[in-house]
Amino acid sequence: MTNYRVCVIGGWCGNRLYMVAEHISELLEKEGYPCHVIGHSVWENYTQPPVANLVLQLLPAFTEAETGCPVIMIRPMLVDLDHPATIEKVLKQVQADYIV
Amino acid sequence: MSSRIYLDYCATTPIHAFVREQMFRALDASFGNPSSMHWAGADSKQLIKQARADVADGIGCLADEIIFTSGATEADNLALFGTLRLFPSDKAHLITSSIEHHAILHAAQLLERDGYSVTYLPVDEHGLVNPEDVRRAIRPETKLISIMHVNNEVGSIQPIAEIGRIAREYNVRYHTDAVQAIGLFDVNVDDLNVDLLSLSAHKIYGPKGIGALFVRSGLELAPMIVGGPQERSLRAGTENVPGIAGLGAALNLVRGHRTEERARLLGLRKYLIIGLQAIGLAVIVNGLEEKTAPHVLSISFVGVDAEMMLIRLNGEGVAVSLGSACNSKSIEPSHVLTAMKLPQEQIESTLRISLGMPTSKDELDTLLDVITRVLPRVVVQ
Repeated sequence: MTNYRVCVIGGWCGNRLYMVAEHISELLEKEGYPCHVIGHSVWENYTQPPVANLVLQLLPAFTEAETGCPVIMIRPMLVDLDHPATIEKVLKQVQADYIV
Repeated sequence: MSSRIYLDYCATTPIHAFVREQMFRALDASFGNPSSMHWAGADSKQLIKQARADVADGIGCLADEIIFTSGATEADNLALFGTLRLFPSDKAHLITSSIEHHAILHAAQLLERDGYSVTYLPVDEHGLVNPEDVRRAIRPETKLISIMHVNNEVGSIQPIAEIGRIAREYNVRYHTDAVQAIGLFDVNVDDLNVDLLSLSAHKIYGPKGIGALFVRSGLELAPMIVGGPQERSLRAGTENVPGIAGLGAALNLVRGHRTEERARLLGLRKYLIIGLQAIGLAVIVNGLEEKTAPHVLSISFVGVDAEMMLIRLNGEGVAVSLGSACNSKSIEPSHVLTAMKLPQEQIESTLRISLGMPTSKDELDTLLDVITRVLPRVVVQ
């Protein structure tokens, strides 16, 4: 199992946040990059960024300076879980950084 | 966190000291069941009688025309179900608008599921219903028109009296949800030509859990809650005596301040808009200024994620509200802003700031300071 951690950050809509996290997890596994994917709601905590190798944000919560890792906006996934350009961006980042 | 500032008065209002005092008096002195035939019951009954008269005075109707309910949602439901269910489903039609409160829209959807037909009227880009659309939608089997007075999301003031005249012309029953209007406007059921009108206490500095439906004399309604003969058998159940006392007191309170409060809030609203523009923000005020209630400001911050702004404002102690909600599958844009055909990006950048009696210029200055501070952190990249 990898130590690579992906954190999906969302807001009020917890259902959507965890749907996106689950979808990302399944997608990365299918692509050969099994990861720890966790969810983080900024309604519960917007001051402390999560510890992760990659942060995927549904809303503009944290900067890369705060997280210390790449941050990608995945807002289009609010309405389309398979948004091609967003998925491509995420995969490209994981391919570049993935560690076992 | 700076001191707390509440700017969500469309959602609910704090209980005013005057109302609280009346409620405590009711709690202390009137514990009896109003249906009981002894002195304890009589005390409670007298209190309800007084509150009923106060509410009736507040909207220009007879005391007997007031039915106390658990709130405006129940009042809205009673108006719709109570009217339509008097008729077979294939012989009754309802006209409403696409920007009503969910207490109306979800009730209308249930009626549709039961076979009734419903017309949802569109609104223009300012959130206003066209009375001529109402006229065109009327059919021989139309039994009820339900159009809200002031919209709770954008504050648009509907042409209620004009729609009422059309309803009269066609002899169709007419209901309005006046929850957001009653605190600031002179609501008179005869001037508005309405047959049914919903109101709620907690939007006018009264308690939650109590509201009322005005039912014009002579109108028949099918009850939703049956049991005892309370509220003319239209709403069974032992009355919420302290709540009813609170509603009566709240209506007395707002009636005495409507004109000056309307002018004061209008000034504050303008002050806030100018302040936001002075920050250098590109903002779009939703709704037509002259046809918008002075306590509601629906405002789109161009290029900003409204939810993140709300979170950061909340973190700084400022309470406002959002134009979207989530369901199990996605973030759902506000049905009101959607009906106004606002672009998706604009809806996602919209906040509702609503003002109330305690709102001061100082509070708005603090809000402007906080917005200036959080703005760089909420821009959509």
